[in-house]
Amino acid sequence: MKKTVNLSKEDILHLAQLANLKLSEKEVITFQKQLTETLDYVENLNELNIKDITPTNYSTDIKNCTFDDGTVCERMFSQEEALENTNEKKNSYFVVKRIM
Amino acid sequence: MNLLGKSLTQLQSLLKSKEVTPSELTSYFTERSKRYNKDLNAYLTFADKEVSSSRGELAGIPLSIKDNFCTKGVKTTAASKVLENFIPPYDATVVTNLKNAGVSFFGKTNMDAWAHGSSTETSDFGPAKNPWSIERTPGGSSGGSASAVSAYLSPASIGSETAGSIRQPASWCGVIGLKPSYGRVSRYGVVAMGSSLDCPGPITSTVEDAALLLKIIAGKDKYDATTADIPVVDYQSFLQKKNTYTIGITDEYFVGVNNEVKQKVMESISVFERIGHKVKKIKLMAPKYAVSVYTIIQRAEVSSNLGRYTGIRFGKDRSFFGGEAKKRIMLGTYSLSHGYYDAYYKTAQKVRTLIIEDFKRVFNEVDVILSPTTPGTALRLGEFAKYPFFGEVMDILNEPAAVAGIPAISVPCGLDSQGLPVGLQIMGKYFDEKSVLNLAYQFEKETNFFDVIKNGFQNYH
Repeated sequence: MKKTVNLSKEDILHLAQLANLKLSEKEVITFQKQLTETLDYVENLNELNIKDITPTNYSTDIKNCTFDDGTVCERMFSQEEALENTNEKKNSYFVVKRIM
Repeated sequence: MNLLGKSLTQLQSLLKSKEVTPSELTSYFTERSKRYNKDLNAYLTFADKEVSSSRGELAGIPLSIKDNFCTKGVKTTAASKVLENFIPPYDATVVTNLKNAGVSFFGKTNMDAWAHGSSTETSDFGPAKNPWSIERTPGGSSGGSASAVSAYLSPASIGSETAGSIRQPASWCGVIGLKPSYGRVSRYGVVAMGSSLDCPGPITSTVEDAALLLKIIAGKDKYDATTADIPVVDYQSFLQKKNTYTIGITDEYFVGVNNEVKQKVMESISVFERIGHKVKKIKLMAPKYAVSVYTIIQRAEVSSNLGRYTGIRFGKDRSFFGGEAKKRIMLGTYSLSHGYYDAYYKTAQKVRTLIIEDFKRVFNEVDVILSPTTPGTALRLGEFAKYPFFGEVMDILNEPAAVAGIPAISVPCGLDSQGLPVGLQIMGKYFDEKSVLNLAYQFEKETNFFDVIKNGFQNYH
């Protein structure tokens, strides 16, 4: 971990773009300060020796949890239910932005 | 009949002996909730048409539930404008289990938007207030639930924790909050925040009620692959056992804790000694490391989980996210991005292993660990902004248990000189909710929580 990260205004705008978020001028300045503050705090992890330690993804030890073949699906939505919460639909389909 | 302050188990008997009917109960709580909601803003939605079943252990009992649990046909917003009009087409497993036990849900409680926060102030629908002093926050993120139980607007409520969101508001509102082990209660149908941490749990006015609700909501769920196939104990019967425990206390959990809170917790520790338990000094990793681990992992999981809110299938588009959600999404995006993944996310996961091992080591010596729930009592509305991370430090003593996935309860242990409730935290071994509850129950029998809960109800008689 690098010592004292300083996020620039460009970093903030880049992150916002990656996350598909629009920020106001004011938010850019606030987040630049607050995110840098947070990254400063978490540097305390560098004080610990983590060599050869296995990372924990989940605190449960469950492995390979799958449905058996042929399990009846009890939670399927009807087309109407699946479309109930959308604002834009056409001929029983979701309307999405053009991507090509 | 004066129903004020009756616990779930008392209401069960009153229903059984037909001294009160299910519809009377529902009207009682709905009316009280609507009357006091102008002051407390504890509820976001009332489900007026919901009726309880006449069958099941909790037949006829009305409950409230945090607004991040999907309730079929009843608006579920997670206190965010993004989901302002979202009507789930299915129930969360916790909701299904309680409905099968006869419960009806009359209200959805206020919370921090997406459960991001520790004060309910990030709610897009205005903050909930603390019944002990309405200029103060009830804590959060399950602040609406804690506020409602504290003012007896709901006989109990279901909240959820990622790190502190049940225990901290329970502590500040002077009620009981139980965070079960991760994997004990299904997350299916809960608006996801930090998927490796999220954990539903009860907020109640007696330990027995917490035990009763846990038994109903706990267990393996085929729709949540992280729920463990470990048998559910009859927690309620287990309360009657007069077990003696070795209780661990550690100086690390008293650093930065205000003196009045410290004093109340020390007095409680002497109560445990007096009733025959053994208190032992232990050493644990400083909670500040858990804060860092939690901050990195939770932000990363948030950025991934909130990616689904595109405004296409449901909800509104991403321009409706509030500041806190945006900030967390961006930090998560940063720590998961190319070149930073190892430095942040992987490091945090490794330290998470250290924290888990640290608890395992200590639990070879002691049965439970006791500490304050929070470093101070309820803050004034707006006061959180003065602290870094918008008050993440208020959850500092809750985050180690969350990161390790172990169970913990907060119970009231007195009032400070401003008349605000102080919370005592009991942490237990992984999947040993029964010991945590048993010890909390013994404390309740011995002290009645110094009448904190009872006096809280009197504020809203």
